[in-house]
Amino acid sequence: MKKIIIIEDEILIQQSLKKLFERRGYSVDVSASGKTAIDMILVNEYDRIICDLMLQDISGFDVIEESKKKFSPEDISKIFVIMTAYNSPQVLSRANSYQCRLLNKPFEDLDEAMRLMTE
Amino acid sequence: MENRPNSPSEAVHERLTLHLDPAVLEELGDDFYLSSHFELLPISEARYSFLKKGERLWVNYPDGEYCDFPFYRKNIVLMLRGLEKKIPSRSHAQEPFDLLVRTTQSIEKRVFSAASPGRHTKDLWDEIIRKINSLSLESHSLRDLTEKLLSVPFLQNFETSLVILHLKGQTKAELQGSLWRTEKVQSFIEVKEFNSFFNSVKKSKIKSFSTDTFPKLNLPFNGSFLAKEVISRKYSLVAVASRHDFLSYGREEIELFETCIDLLQPHFERLIDQEFSDKRISELRICLKDFPLPLRIKNSVTGTSFQNDLMKSELQEQDIFFTKKVLGPFSLDLYDSDELRHYAFDLFHFQRISLLGELLNTLRHELSNPLFGLMLGSQMFRTLEVSGDNKDLMKEIEKNVARCQVIIENFSNLYQIQNDPKPVLLKKIIDESLVLAKSEGREMIKKVSFEDDTEYLEISVPLIFVVQILFNLIVNAAQALRDAGTRAGELSICVSREGEGIAIHVKDNGPGIAEEKVAQLFKPFFTTKASGTGLGLVLSRNLALKMGGNLEYIMNNESSGAHFALTLPVS
Repeated sequence: MKKIIIIEDEILIQQSLKKLFERRGYSVDVSASGKTAIDMILVNEYDRIICDLMLQDISGFDVIEESKKKFSPEDISKIFVIMTAYNSPQVLSRANSYQCRLLNKPFEDLDEAMRLMTE
Repeated sequence: MENRPNSPSEAVHERLTLHLDPAVLEELGDDFYLSSHFELLPISEARYSFLKKGERLWVNYPDGEYCDFPFYRKNIVLMLRGLEKKIPSRSHAQEPFDLLVRTTQSIEKRVFSAASPGRHTKDLWDEIIRKINSLSLESHSLRDLTEKLLSVPFLQNFETSLVILHLKGQTKAELQGSLWRTEKVQSFIEVKEFNSFFNSVKKSKIKSFSTDTFPKLNLPFNGSFLAKEVISRKYSLVAVASRHDFLSYGREEIELFETCIDLLQPHFERLIDQEFSDKRISELRICLKDFPLPLRIKNSVTGTSFQNDLMKSELQEQDIFFTKKVLGPFSLDLYDSDELRHYAFDLFHFQRISLLGELLNTLRHELSNPLFGLMLGSQMFRTLEVSGDNKDLMKEIEKNVARCQVIIENFSNLYQIQNDPKPVLLKKIIDESLVLAKSEGREMIKKVSFEDDTEYLEISVPLIFVVQILFNLIVNAAQALRDAGTRAGELSICVSREGEGIAIHVKDNGPGIAEEKVAQLFKPFFTTKASGTGLGLVLSRNLALKMGGNLEYIMNNESSGAHFALTLPVS
């Protein structure tokens, strides 16, 4: 697994994660906009898509919905990692319906979070 | 799924599919359905007004125009659009208008008799429509209407009629109606399940289903059923009817059912609105009943009035402190007495706390992302970029960020009004209050002591109440010390056991309170400070009483400073 995209509009979070992943040997693309990210996902091949739930333009779930053009539900459950600071029951049940990983912000333990995102 | 069977020919006009006999189609020619006078729309696209004029419905078109509306059959409306525009004045143009109506009538007769072969004669239709109109008017609730639906001629061999209603914004949809014509049912369905059911019904062309298809819906019967969706601004609804068998439904039955439900839409709307407003009125009554001041609402026209329990006959007119004309003939009187004012303060306090809670919640959400960014950035630098002393510096940044996260978390927990308070360490409550009053109490020395093993005691009281009281006392002490210019101002908080409960003594070494003023300390609007409201101590005592404790001033000749004791129960 080599190529990752991080979709996150908080630049400090986005850039920090980028550097942390790069240091671990991944090639990392970033996007602060959900819509741009969708175009990138459709054109490029990513092994992992790490996506914030509350983006400025659209939601992380919208990104997943658009990605259905390219990925099967099984792909989606493997490739997507959703990051969120608001884990309401609605968010949890929606994330469950995609069976993708859900990561709470702030991370309790950075190494543990990095492991969950990459394994 | 198949389209409707036996469809002789289809003429498509925008979103409408009108099924016509080829012979009729030929006779009418293209002029009919492409004519600018006619537009064929599903009935759900036109909003009815409830008025009826003669045999004709008046319809409010989506674009706001009203027009006499001669016909509706099945789920199709024939709309005479633009009549008002083309014929400037109705009176001048009565003749062409009538002509148009007559022409339409004859066309309509042919279209519908051709499109509904078999027993769907105009008479049956008229009977059904009459029945629906009459039972809609008889029904006083949505459930009632749903039950009565089974008396419509073609539904007489059906056993069950249900509606599933989802009011926008509610977390559950409600199912109600009658089973086997006798048994009343009611249950609640998760919105997610309801939405998926609603969409299936909406997409379906044949509107007939089997309960096997929707196992999660837990419909109270088994077998095939008809379902039709109704959507409005405030709610979505699915009407369900079943014969309790596994046979499929005939085309006529399906069409009749769909049309019935379409025709019922305005009545659904009316009944739902009515139930809404009944519920609102009863909630309002409860609110007014529990309003913390004596209150009376008078209707000057009818002379009737409503009053709450606190309104007692011995109250005098001069006690009114607030009278307002509220709406039309209604006026509102609020009464007042010293004792009763406390209630108003509670209300004021409660509002303030709720507002603070909301603010803090927003703040927490808004701060959580940037704080997380700072944390992550710092962690990244520490692990990847910097070395030596700078590593420690980055760690220090992380610690501070974590502290901010904890503070904001604690504060928003603090301001949540808890109905069922959890046990909290007494020491923690005192620390929290001192942190809150940190800026006010900067200059004084603070001493906290615990007697009788109270240091690790946990109490189950609303955290925010205790913090609020202690905060008030600490700030009062700090201000008194500052105003008196006391050097080496000192505040001591001492916790001890007292009877069954505990007492928190808050003392300062300031000038204290003059003996003649002590009696007034807990009276509203009494203050010794230039900018004081005179509410702090009143509120604090009210809160203490609410928790089953008390707040008192301790007269002490030995020391000069002020001394308050907050007693609380330990359960």
